[in-house]
Amino acid sequence: MENEFFKNRLHVTRRHFLGKMGLGLGSVALGSLLIPDLFTGSDDTALPIGLPHFAPKAKRVIYLFQNGAPSQLESFDYKPLLNKMKGEELPASIRMGQRLTGMTSGQKKFPLIGSHFKFQQYGKSGAWVSEMFPNIAKITDEICFIKSMHTEAINHDPALTFMQTGAQQGNRPSMGSWLSYGLGSENKNLPAFCVLLSRGRGNGQGVYSKLWTNGFLDSIHQGVQFSSSEERVLYLKDPEGRDRADSRKMLDNLAQLNDLNYKEFGDPEIQTRVQQYEMAYRMQTAVPELTDLTHEPDNIIKMYGADCLAAGTYAANCLLARKLSEAGVRFVQLYHQGWDQHGNIVGEMPLQAQDVDRATAALIMDLKQRGLLDETLVIWGGEFGRTNYCQGDLSKDNYGRDHHPRCYTIWMAGGGVKPGISYGESDEFGYNIIRDPVHVNDFHATVLHLMGLNHEKLNFKHLGRRYRLTDVAGKVVPGILA
Amino acid sequence: MLKSKGFFLNLIFFFQVLLLFLLFSEDRLALPPWLQVAGRLHPAVLHLPIGFLIFGVLLMLMEKQFKKKAFGKIALMVLILTSIAASITALFGLFLSKQGDYGLEALTQHRNSGIALSLLCYLLLLAYVYSYKSRFLYYVVGLLTIAAMFVAGHTGSVLTHGENFVMAPLIKSSQAALTAESSAFQIAVYPVLERKCVTCHNQAKAKGKFIMTSLADFKKGGKNGKEWVEGKPLESRMIQYIHRPLGDDDHMPPDGKPQLSASEIRLLEIWIGSGADVDKKMADLQDKDSLKIMATAALAASKLVKPKEKLYAFSPASEELVKKLNTPFRSVFPLYQNSPALQADFFIRESFKASSLDELKEVKDQIVVLNLSRMPVTDSDLAVIGSFSNLEKLNVNFSKISGTGLSSLGTLKNLSSASLAGTAVTAESILPVLAISSLQELFVWNTKITEEDRKKLAAEYPKVIIVGSQFIDNKILRLGRPLLVNDGIVKIDEGIVLRHSMPGVVIRYTVDGTSPDSVAASQYEKPFTLKVTSKIKAIACKSGWYCSEVFEATCFVEGLKPEHAELLTKPDKQYPGEGDKSLADGRKGFIDVHKEAAWLGFQNDPFSAGFSFGPNAPAIHTIVISYGKNLGSYLFPPETVEVWAGKSKGEIKLLKTMKVEQPFGYDPQQVEALVVPLTGTRYAYYKVVAKPVGKLPQWHSGKGKKGWIFVDEVFFY
Repeated sequence: MENEFFKNRLHVTRRHFLGKMGLGLGSVALGSLLIPDLFTGSDDTALPIGLPHFAPKAKRVIYLFQNGAPSQLESFDYKPLLNKMKGEELPASIRMGQRLTGMTSGQKKFPLIGSHFKFQQYGKSGAWVSEMFPNIAKITDEICFIKSMHTEAINHDPALTFMQTGAQQGNRPSMGSWLSYGLGSENKNLPAFCVLLSRGRGNGQGVYSKLWTNGFLDSIHQGVQFSSSEERVLYLKDPEGRDRADSRKMLDNLAQLNDLNYKEFGDPEIQTRVQQYEMAYRMQTAVPELTDLTHEPDNIIKMYGADCLAAGTYAANCLLARKLSEAGVRFVQLYHQGWDQHGNIVGEMPLQAQDVDRATAALIMDLKQRGLLDETLVIWGGEFGRTNYCQGDLSKDNYGRDHHPRCYTIWMAGGGVKPGISYGESDEFGYNIIRDPVHVNDFHATVLHLMGLNHEKLNFKHLGRRYRLTDVAGKVVPGILA
Repeated sequence: MLKSKGFFLNLIFFFQVLLLFLLFSEDRLALPPWLQVAGRLHPAVLHLPIGFLIFGVLLMLMEKQFKKKAFGKIALMVLILTSIAASITALFGLFLSKQGDYGLEALTQHRNSGIALSLLCYLLLLAYVYSYKSRFLYYVVGLLTIAAMFVAGHTGSVLTHGENFVMAPLIKSSQAALTAESSAFQIAVYPVLERKCVTCHNQAKAKGKFIMTSLADFKKGGKNGKEWVEGKPLESRMIQYIHRPLGDDDHMPPDGKPQLSASEIRLLEIWIGSGADVDKKMADLQDKDSLKIMATAALAASKLVKPKEKLYAFSPASEELVKKLNTPFRSVFPLYQNSPALQADFFIRESFKASSLDELKEVKDQIVVLNLSRMPVTDSDLAVIGSFSNLEKLNVNFSKISGTGLSSLGTLKNLSSASLAGTAVTAESILPVLAISSLQELFVWNTKITEEDRKKLAAEYPKVIIVGSQFIDNKILRLGRPLLVNDGIVKIDEGIVLRHSMPGVVIRYTVDGTSPDSVAASQYEKPFTLKVTSKIKAIACKSGWYCSEVFEATCFVEGLKPEHAELLTKPDKQYPGEGDKSLADGRKGFIDVHKEAAWLGFQNDPFSAGFSFGPNAPAIHTIVISYGKNLGSYLFPPETVEVWAGKSKGEIKLLKTMKVEQPFGYDPQQVEALVVPLTGTRYAYYKVVAKPVGKLPQWHSGKGKKGWIFVDEVFFY
């Protein structure tokens, strides 16, 4: 009987159990020899940082952000039905319960209104462009329109933050910061991520530094805002009585002190600071070379328009963006404010269009004639679209449009996108997407893809989880890739 | 061998745990070379477990022929050998999988089935050893093991020989490369069916007798006949089944299987709607045809997997070398991870030396992209560039080359793009570059090459895209406005500076409110001074351009300071400024920042303030009220202004009442000066009253409501 008991090994004794377990653990231990980083706690999914994951189509981005949300219906998404149905009520079957902003939710009527401005088809692609953008109309064959963008936010701040950082709340790294983190800087004398601001003449919305924040990434990836004044980078000149040699000496000594501090505390931000001082020192040579416009040929001034000589204008920022990009700045972010036409589209939008039309077209063609367009991705667009109905009362000769997240148009040109196409489509009311929707996450995934980055692999571990620009969503849009 | 049964059981157990462990941490494996060799033995070793297992099966069939004890020993031995061989095969297979590029799906299947086989062999052994009474468990596990062997064997063959290798001679190829000449069905529709439907609707399973793997069967339909009605997607059974609710028994694909996405359903509907043609070529469809548009996107997607990566024949430069070549003024880096191709960029003109280009010779085979834009590169440096034999893209825009050295680039047999914009090259000197057979693009904008030259060359070299000026516009443009450099309140003797960034412009200006013209108005040559607050109007002109629009700015000039200034009415709670202090603190408000210390805002009460100049009061000729005008925000000029004056606060009389002209429509927002001319009498005390607009005008969006006045400063001259 006793013998029988021992024979049946299913009655495991403690000794047997521990013996077997030791064996199992032993095999795991042997296996672990093949995994070099098992106990070092390194990231198992992240790829090495600083180089594209695969052959990139674009090396640099210039993002011409049209802050305030320009109306797609007066610019690039032509909807003649709205003119025919002027004043008629927006059908409920089209609105489909779309939530509205507090500005129009109380409205009793939603009268449809078409574009006050005439549209015409241009180029081989036959793209429709409104008369407000005569110069962009000339280059439509370089442009890839995305007419099916949609976002989740309905107000400026969250929508803008979403467009820029992939999240509606602040404090996530901006697109430019992710690219700086993923690809590093091409030119060590300039920041990899530069921000240029300009103001239009229409109803404006603010921009704030959280839009170009590095979030939880190393602060070296933060966007550097250039001043809109004559002196594009403030305090860059040596103060009176101090020359370059003095600065050098000061920086060397300061670096030693910082190094002592770093040894004591080990805070990586200390080293970032030292690197930033060094870059600022080198920027003292690099920036004057960039902001000096006297070396620009006359026809360049003509191309961008006379405004490009007045610091702080959109045209001047476009010219500077081209120069920064040409000098290897990874991501140049422009914001042109004043596109929030809740009322007075007829009065304000032509002024806004006038600000950007010529300089935008000039920037693209300027890149092209230098052989840089195929490696520079230019993006133009706002944070959402505008409604197809009038905000407030529809008067005889003027109207306004409220925010519309469900469908809007942006466009891209250069670096790896198909030129001369329109991707996606909105319905005849310009309200819903009927073909190939592109979510903001998809847009981010596509931009990263064009830059040679896999958006699912470019991540950063923070507070116990890995973050991406596209967080847990986003699909590359193959239809726009050249 | 049987005496060490325990040892072998433990050994096999050890293998299984190891296998499972490695399976779960597979992503992080790093194999030393000797294990890679072991991995490559997998195709040899794998025959052992197959042989042992088949031998074992035969043995079982012949059990009766053996003596019971002898059979037990042989069987145990065979099972142990099978299990060890299966474990080792699986282990080696795992090592091999890390070394090659295998199809992910087939690899996963083979890996999992291989490991399952190894585990099953172990279970079989255990079942044999520990089951005394019944052989049932043993037979079940045995059958499973044999099944797993077939699965692992088959999936392995898919890996090495490709799918349908065995049956290939019997199956007509449907997998020709997709082009615009393929049918739209093949490009767009079939891949959807292939992904979501054919796992059940194939020759083997044929659920509902509907087979999608051959065109004839597909057209024939299932047990109820044809599955669609041409042109009527919603009447087609196939589509109807797709649209049934998920829980419905007829819903397709069945609950639990991968479902069709909305766009896939849409595609099927469009295809049926357009007549369910399986042969129509994509190229024959209309451009606006939805099917064509979706097929185009599908074709693009089929190419997307990963962008084409060019394979280079040369080996990479060492990491240390690349690192060494990087300086603040020269960046050298691989085009992307694990690419041997390098890009080199140069920055900061002043820091460029010919030697810094020379140093790149160490990586002359690896340099594929070279960016020398704006660097003072000369023709002699081109010889160095000529030695970068794998160079594909060269940018020497705005460098100092004249073109004479371009012939040394003739050695670049891979050059596809050259940017020579802004250099002194000529139509003749670029000929050696155009002669490079691999050249695709040449950029010659802003050179001596005229548009006619360019067209001629383009005709001679049709393979090369020669890019000249891209923005030809002969329209005369308007200059930008001149600017006022002075900021804030100007001191009496401070020079007023006007500026324009365009070299060679003439600025003409007035300070009396009239519009300057391009002939008569004073020409600005040097800074001038102002005595009182004035409106400056200026234009800029230059030949070849239209004169600029008029620049207008109010230049607030510092006035006579009162001894004491006080507010007699209280500003609105929201815009209190700094009270009395804001009246004469020399601070100007910003027109679009309303809640700020400089601004005193009034809506319900009029603005009223007192200023005392003491016994030695100066003669006052003008009072200027500086106010903010931002009509959109209800900030209007005051309706009326009154000035009272006298010997002291208690003895004042009304000196002047002014009705202020109101705007007739929205105009630009700015800080304006309201000028009240006086006679120049000396008074010790002044009271200034400004009444806000009682009712906003009809044209305003806030018509009928009360207006605001915003005052930041009152000046006396």
